[in-house]
Amino acid sequence: MRAAHLLRLIFWRLVSSIPALIGVVVITFILMRVLPGDPAVFFSSGPTAGQEEIENLRRQMGLDKPMYVQLGIYLKDVASGNLGRSILTGQAVTKDIAQRLPASLELTLTALLIAIVVSIPLGILAALRSGTWIDHLVRFLCTLGVCMPTFVSGLVLIFIFYFVLGWAPDPTGRIDIFAAQPPNITGFLLIDFALTGNWSGWWAAFSQIILPACTMALFVLAPLARMTRASMLAVLRSEFIRTARSIGMSEWRITIVYALRNALIPVITIAGIVFSTMLGANVLVEKVFSWPGVASYTLDALVASDYAPVQGFVLLMATIFVMVNLIVDILYGLMDPRMSIG
Amino acid sequence: MNLNRRDCLTGALALSVASLGNDALAQSREATLRQVMGGNVNTLDPTVPGASRESAGMSMSIYDRLITFGRKQVNGNWVFDQSVIVPELAERVETSADRRKITLHIRSNATWHDGTPVTAEDIKWSLDRCVSAKSLAPPQFQSGSMYKPEQFRIAGPRVVEILLDEPNRLAIGNLGLPYAIMINSTLAKKHATADDPWALKWLQANAAASGAYMVESFRPGEAVTLRRNPNWKSGPNGKPAHFERVICQSVPEASTRANLVERGDADIVLDLQVSDIAAVRARDVAKVVSNTQTNGFTHISFNTQVAPFNNVKVRQAFAAAFPYNEMFKAALFGRGQPLFGATWSGSPTSPDFPAPMPNHTDLARAKALLVEAGYPNGLDVTFNFALSYAAVAEPMAALMKESLAKIGVNLTIQKLPDTQLSTLQSEKKLSFYMDTGSAWLPATYYFFWVYFTRAQRWNLANWDNPRVFELVNKARTETNQAAYDAYCREMISIMAAETPLVLAFQANIDAVMAKKIDGFTYHFHRQLDYRDLRRV
Repeated sequence: MRAAHLLRLIFWRLVSSIPALIGVVVITFILMRVLPGDPAVFFSSGPTAGQEEIENLRRQMGLDKPMYVQLGIYLKDVASGNLGRSILTGQAVTKDIAQRLPASLELTLTALLIAIVVSIPLGILAALRSGTWIDHLVRFLCTLGVCMPTFVSGLVLIFIFYFVLGWAPDPTGRIDIFAAQPPNITGFLLIDFALTGNWSGWWAAFSQIILPACTMALFVLAPLARMTRASMLAVLRSEFIRTARSIGMSEWRITIVYALRNALIPVITIAGIVFSTMLGANVLVEKVFSWPGVASYTLDALVASDYAPVQGFVLLMATIFVMVNLIVDILYGLMDPRMSIG
Repeated sequence: MNLNRRDCLTGALALSVASLGNDALAQSREATLRQVMGGNVNTLDPTVPGASRESAGMSMSIYDRLITFGRKQVNGNWVFDQSVIVPELAERVETSADRRKITLHIRSNATWHDGTPVTAEDIKWSLDRCVSAKSLAPPQFQSGSMYKPEQFRIAGPRVVEILLDEPNRLAIGNLGLPYAIMINSTLAKKHATADDPWALKWLQANAAASGAYMVESFRPGEAVTLRRNPNWKSGPNGKPAHFERVICQSVPEASTRANLVERGDADIVLDLQVSDIAAVRARDVAKVVSNTQTNGFTHISFNTQVAPFNNVKVRQAFAAAFPYNEMFKAALFGRGQPLFGATWSGSPTSPDFPAPMPNHTDLARAKALLVEAGYPNGLDVTFNFALSYAAVAEPMAALMKESLAKIGVNLTIQKLPDTQLSTLQSEKKLSFYMDTGSAWLPATYYFFWVYFTRAQRWNLANWDNPRVFELVNKARTETNQAAYDAYCREMISIMAAETPLVLAFQANIDAVMAKKIDGFTYHFHRQLDYRDLRRV
């Protein structure tokens, strides 16, 4: 019965998020058009392009119609899965996003994995030794990570590991540009190479992703480690831990099995938020490492007032936020039986 | 995961194959040219509205045009020379005595990338497309007096004629521009639709060409990979290009581009930051080839139709107040060609344009002119420039503000996003701003035609001078060189007197490349032409 309940829950959560998504689409649509600057003029570049070319392009982009008609057409297109065409790349936005989203997701997930693997032990350590020099050291490291803008830490890492030491391959994209393109199965290079058993390819992709992933991980160490520490401290002071100690359980069992499981619940929420934020906000990392992801794609489009990609990206982000929140809620239920997800 | 003996063996085999392949890899690296750039190639067809400048450069190596231009050495560097017409897909070009008929003889052994021969029908279709498609090509072709398909006629096997209603100095030149690509019409027509009879959509992501390179992969915004066309006959000596493979990759971060070329991982880059170029030069790790962008200019324009700049004295006052030398040093570190400080007055010494204009810093004169214009107490003015040009414009604007304050002008500096600036410019709503202009066919009258006449978008200063318009139209069809030169001189002298805008300078373009790369040529399109380059 539990599985059926879960499915019903997922269904209703998705249905109830539709009005929010429509709101997001409408607001982005209007915002883009309120911004000063006419894309038809901008894209009719070339010193011989005159008013006629501008009008042609405006017609082609549908900008000659009143805004409510444009909005109606756009909503209809979105409903049928068509997000329009990007002028900047000349491709359908859905195709661009399909090509670039895996790159962003792979980078963000790898970064999140690194951040979690590093920050949770750090947080636990800081909580167990709270007030000592270890605690201060962890605080210092986290502050350092969050203080340094990602493009600075990215450039520093490139300078050290690529330019000076020559350990890292050149920081341009997901794979060595001279190598043949990998098989496209899932779009996640690390998974695709593993699936085809091409381990030298896997290693090449891994050595490309490690620097940008570390750059991003550095930036999000702080919220994860600090949240782990705070909630660990709260749990360690609670009565069931005191009881466990009084009946003589081993310190290890108390910390890992009883305290950590309860302490991780707020950390999951934070991780969900951190993930969604990273996906959209890693534009600087993508720029610095020439990473062909969705965020740098959208920034280019925004600068050029290329409406369709920006609208498509915001819709995508909104959808991902909805999904991540749903997953976080489901994980809650798994972590804490008291939680009813309904 | 289970690791069994078979996996281990496969792994060992893969490793040994990989080490065997190292030699081959090194060899192919030698034969590969890797360019990194900040911008990106967004279409393979450069005529598509929205095509980036990089796309125009890329098309030069993928497509052939009927003709191309020669090159000459200037200060030890190769620079394009449009006074020399070199055959490309047409092996011979003849112009009739009245200069109203151009006859093109198509190369007999030329083939498309798919191996089929280039026919007169293909050429006719491609030329028709240049004047008929809803693209950037028709307005360009109009500058060469080519308006409609009826002007292109098949006159025999491999012979095509262009019929002009009037002699036009730019007609042949237009055939060598990126828009004049020659397309495999049989292939393109297969992808044409009722809505899109010229296959603009399909050709944006696919090539139907005959040029020196074939497209191996095209990922807009990431990279383009080209493979050499072994059957290319349109080049000098009819030989294929030097590099077997070309990789053109977008690397948005300028310092990363500098790192790549310094470490030898990239072979050539055209858009480094000034500070990085200085560092490369100082460390002597790569070759820097600097050329003045002779077919472009940076300008400071006034809106000549709107107060206060509809008053010629105000414009002259401003032109006398700008601190030219300081601006040139601050914006470009003095690297480029100044377009101020000429010593002539009245008529210019040369009919060429852009060339230095007789503008000098003279605050006393500026002050006097402003009083004469009726602004004894000075005035308030807003100055605009595009965000993307801030690195150059910002220091200049600060110096202008300081200098103008001395004659009582209070300058408000306002940076605008590029799209907003171009929109306001085309709506003629900017009063006083700075930008750049350039022309693929740098003839004096052409610059005046595009940038200084008619009620149209690119009339930079919104300038309407009937005499200049008359001169431009005369120069366009003038076949006598001395008469043409006289028209050009008069245009320039009217501009100097009226000061609709101030020319600031021509910036340098610095190509940074591995020391073994040879043959770099500065072209009118200001991009790389891979066909020029060799590794020595």
